[in-house]
Amino acid sequence: MTVKSDISDDYKHLSIQVEKRFDFSQHQHFRDAYIKHTEEGTEFLLDLSQADYMDSSALGMILLLKDHAENIGGKIVINKPSEAVNKILEIAQFHRLMTIVH
Amino acid sequence: MLNSSNKTNNKLALVVDDSITQCKALSMLLDEENYQVITAHDGASAVKTYIKYQPDLVLMDINMPIMNGFEAAKKIKNLSSDTLCPLLFITNLDTEQAYISSLDAGGDGILVKPFSPQVFKAKINSLQRINDLYSEIKTLQQEQHKDAELAEELMSGVIESRNYALDKISIGKQAAALFSGDIQLTALCPNHDVNILLGDFTGHGLRSTIGAIPLSETFRAMTKKGFSLIDIINQVNKQLFDLLPVDLFLCATFVSISSHEKSAYIFNAGLPNAYLFDEQGKIKHKFSSTHPPLGVLPELMDNSRITIVPIDSLDRVVLISDGIIEAGNEAGALFGLDRFEVAAKEGILQQNLVSTVMKSINEFCAGKVQEDDISLIDIPCGGWRSEIDITEKSGFDTIYNMEEAYQITSPDWQWHLKLSGQSLASVNPIPMIMNQISDIEGDGKHWQSVYTILTELFVNALDHGVLKLSSKLKNSAEGFAQYFNEREKRLKYLNTGFISIAISYHSLAAGGKMIITFKDSGEGFDSLQLFKRNSFAIDNKQILSGRGIELVNQLSDSLEYQENGTLVEVVYIWQSTKN
Repeated sequence: MTVKSDISDDYKHLSIQVEKRFDFSQHQHFRDAYIKHTEEGTEFLLDLSQADYMDSSALGMILLLKDHAENIGGKIVINKPSEAVNKILEIAQFHRLMTIVH
Repeated sequence: MLNSSNKTNNKLALVVDDSITQCKALSMLLDEENYQVITAHDGASAVKTYIKYQPDLVLMDINMPIMNGFEAAKKIKNLSSDTLCPLLFITNLDTEQAYISSLDAGGDGILVKPFSPQVFKAKINSLQRINDLYSEIKTLQQEQHKDAELAEELMSGVIESRNYALDKISIGKQAAALFSGDIQLTALCPNHDVNILLGDFTGHGLRSTIGAIPLSETFRAMTKKGFSLIDIINQVNKQLFDLLPVDLFLCATFVSISSHEKSAYIFNAGLPNAYLFDEQGKIKHKFSSTHPPLGVLPELMDNSRITIVPIDSLDRVVLISDGIIEAGNEAGALFGLDRFEVAAKEGILQQNLVSTVMKSINEFCAGKVQEDDISLIDIPCGGWRSEIDITEKSGFDTIYNMEEAYQITSPDWQWHLKLSGQSLASVNPIPMIMNQISDIEGDGKHWQSVYTILTELFVNALDHGVLKLSSKLKNSAEGFAQYFNEREKRLKYLNTGFISIAISYHSLAAGGKMIITFKDSGEGFDSLQLFKRNSFAIDNKQILSGRGIELVNQLSDSLEYQENGTLVEVVYIWQSTKN
């Protein structure tokens, strides 16, 4: 399994880590990782430090997560994208849509 | 050999055993499971029978004359690459080695004698379940493949076949194994600027083409009506945002090549760098993505801007999709931007950029199947039909009674618009006027000239009148950029000033006359001086500004400045085209 998630004790911070390839094949795992977390104001921390590849359907999946977060008054933060992944995020100008911590 | 049976199941099993008794026993059991049965008594004839009847299930003995069960199984499995065709070994060799060898030979299971009919049937049913699942996946895969073909057909046949000037603009494309949403559009503006789009929708197959039809319709219709590039991008973004699900969007680069302004307008939302090359293949400019993909946000972001650069007629603008960068070879290396730039330069020197780059990619990938579409567009900056085409002017005086044209008649209709303050920054009146004209008077070839006249007059009134920008800035390439920055800044804070536009339309016996006036709130200028300077400059081909008025002058029948240059009246006369 290359998608891991971990919820904090107060249920306010969900961290999701995607490893290796972040592409359409992760779609179901990725969605499963967050869809049940509907606690108001949850912060979704997406750790992409271990992802070495990302395609445009992964960008779409991140947008779905962002939508989910915003619907429950929460937000999404991308944490430490690897160099390869960051290039993709940069071309898509995602830093203008969400917080990216390097 | 075919066992005739009236049972409804049309499944066919092949039983291979050198013992006739054994064949009969198995056939009976299979018959109870509604199989029709054919038999073979050695490996070699089993393979022949398999080829002839293509059964749905094979039961195979191991020790047989001529060809043993393992050999026959290997051959049969090789022949059945498109179907699963479950193959079960039936044997009395109860050894670990027999078990391993049967699976190695491609068998899907082994059943050791003796066994009860219940065990046999359970085994057959389990193989049947796997087989059903396999065919289901196969069917789905074929449907997906058909969808992808349909998507590709839709893109190339319906959408891209209507592209403009494919003799000048070269498009290279290579769809991935599963078509993945690249789209290339080109269209002509009324003033002969050319708009080009390279887009990449997320997703694969048919899913990636949902947005393609509205995109191409909007792009073409708005280009044809003369909307500015930013208006088109805005509308495309809005439309895709409304239409597409959250995870579907469009990465795209938009380009407008304006020959008469000698500039290129470029907007990159989510694609890799676009390039401006000179004729030696040297990179003059890279245009990186400055905006998230379209369809993600309800409106374009504040401060979204189009990059405007001066161009020479031998320059080329080149657009690429990420499939080029991510094209990979077996070793896992990617083609990347550096290789692209080298190939592009070589291609420009050899005057076939698209095929040189494509060849370089294919050599690099060495036959590895790509997961993403590869596309690139090569756009020459020059060689476009110049707008200053005097033959398009009416040629009126040779045919017409001049008196009629210049008589003072009352107009058939008039149209006025006054824009003030911020509305000058947000409203583009030209498409509105053009709509008005074609709504009342229908389509006409001469409206292209009217469009150009209106556009030039409006830009002059806004830039030099209301915004008080000096056109001298545009005389150098550096000033050119500065001019557009300053223009944008002044527009943003604009809260005073006005432009008023009036059109009156007079029909004549065999044509018509349009009087166009623009009045602006600016300080005016010395119009005589402008014409003197311009005729000198154009003779010497050394000036980037003032071309607009010269163009209007050539297209119209009269052009007159009044009120110290703050009011301009243009008369345009045409004759009806005879059909």
